[in-house]
Amino acid sequence: MNALLKIENLLVTANGNEILKGVNLKIGPGEIQALLGPNASGKSTLAQVILGNPKYKIKKGKIIFQGKDITRLPSEKRVKLGIALTWQSPPAIKGVKLFQLLERISFKKDYQPEEGKELLEREINVDFSGGEKKISELLQVLSSNPKLVIFDEIDSGLDIKKIEKVAKIIKKEFLGKKMKVAILFITHSGGILNFFKPKITNVIVKGKIICKEKDYRKVLRVIKKYGYEKCKKCQLLAA
Amino acid sequence: MKSVKNANYWQLDHKVKKILEVKGVTILPSPRAWEKFNWTRKWFKEKPKEGYFVWVKKQTSFPLTTCVTIASPKISQNLTNLLVIEKNIKTEANVLCNAVRGNLCGSHRAQGKLILKEGAFLEYNHFHKWGEKDSVEPNYEFILEKDSKLIYNYQNLLPPKNLRLITAFHNKESSSVQANLVINGLNSKTELKESIFLEGKNSQGILKLRLVGKKKGQIEAKSTIIAKSPSKGHLDCQGLLVDKDSKISLTPELICQNKLAQITHEASIGRISEEELNYLRMRGLTEEEAINLIVSGFLKS
Repeated sequence: MNALLKIENLLVTANGNEILKGVNLKIGPGEIQALLGPNASGKSTLAQVILGNPKYKIKKGKIIFQGKDITRLPSEKRVKLGIALTWQSPPAIKGVKLFQLLERISFKKDYQPEEGKELLEREINVDFSGGEKKISELLQVLSSNPKLVIFDEIDSGLDIKKIEKVAKIIKKEFLGKKMKVAILFITHSGGILNFFKPKITNVIVKGKIICKEKDYRKVLRVIKKYGYEKCKKCQLLAA
Repeated sequence: MKSVKNANYWQLDHKVKKILEVKGVTILPSPRAWEKFNWTRKWFKEKPKEGYFVWVKKQTSFPLTTCVTIASPKISQNLTNLLVIEKNIKTEANVLCNAVRGNLCGSHRAQGKLILKEGAFLEYNHFHKWGEKDSVEPNYEFILEKDSKLIYNYQNLLPPKNLRLITAFHNKESSSVQANLVINGLNSKTELKESIFLEGKNSQGILKLRLVGKKKGQIEAKSTIIAKSPSKGHLDCQGLLVDKDSKISLTPELICQNKLAQITHEASIGRISEEELNYLRMRGLTEEEAINLIVSGFLKS
């Protein structure tokens, strides 16, 4: 199978500190994968690097999307190619209403979302609750018509009902009959995975993916039992 | 402002092109008003050379519009304007001063007096749209009589090479002003001096400045509230520097001459947040589009 996204031996620094230490990852078209890891393991950094955040310096390795090397491509061009990211903690943009941004980035004219209409007239992420931020992020990535969406901690800070609501929207909008979007769920708790059953679950610890496992439940069980610290000793450890 | 076609007063260079009077509103060139109405001499001080006189005596159901334009090279306008709103009249004025092209090297000087009589209300929307070689010096004084209320919105959509904007508000008893000035200092030198004089008991004044320094824009703003009576005032000055070659200088000043007055200020100058910029770029906006969106949001905030 041709990979939609292929990351080869990625070594990344920020402010002189090595954060990603040789990451390899492959995601096929329409495939769902998960990335689990403890705090500060490099999960969000990997997502930001895939989208081209200039804060991070790529010292080594490549990012290939649809066969094209995008390692040095600016963020906006990566988005145009079809990569989207929902931020874990998106910044507030004062004075700019959500609909104004959606109008600029939407691939459809007169885009009218079914969910989150009440957020459209509000300034982006200004005084948004945790749940509202997640819905706003979903609306934004939806409007860009992506081929790959990275959900960075979309389930963090949400109660089970809200996770269910978010999962329902993702299923309807990205995994419907008409299109199948590839998804990478970055999650600390794994709560969202029960709704999607990823094909591969990756575990990242200290900037390296140390495990790739087909059964996400097994990974969650091991993490629950031993914690991430003992992950390296686990029998699921991939070579 | 849709077009000069709807203007009640339109001056092109030095020529009055159009006056459209409406019921209950007298509109004249200022020199003519000096001759016709002796009482205007109290405000004009000397016979004006050019400019407009607008006297609102009855309620209008639509905004009054004036437009002063520079259309020829090296024109030097020297206007004296007078706007009088009679007692308990509520109205809105849209005021556009502009140059039709960017390279006319024009000069626009305006002395303005705006009188809000007892209980009057005015929303005054003042737009500037200049060429990059123009020099502009408006000096406006608002007299707010008892119980009157003014909302003043100034916006320079296209800045001139040099802008020197002086605005003073004199608040009598129980009058209030809310002044919002939005300056886009794009490759221009801007000097602002705003003063609110809280002269009457229970008068109120809020001055909000939003300044953007971009493409070598230099902005110097001195904002003052002087409380002479039991009154309330607040200054809110915020600057945003978009590039390293621009400069913003803010000087908020509070002078309290009455122990029952309460005047406050907040002032800050910042730069565009890298996080916000990257966020918008990860939504597909180019760096320039993202900066423009953040700046437009800042100016509205």
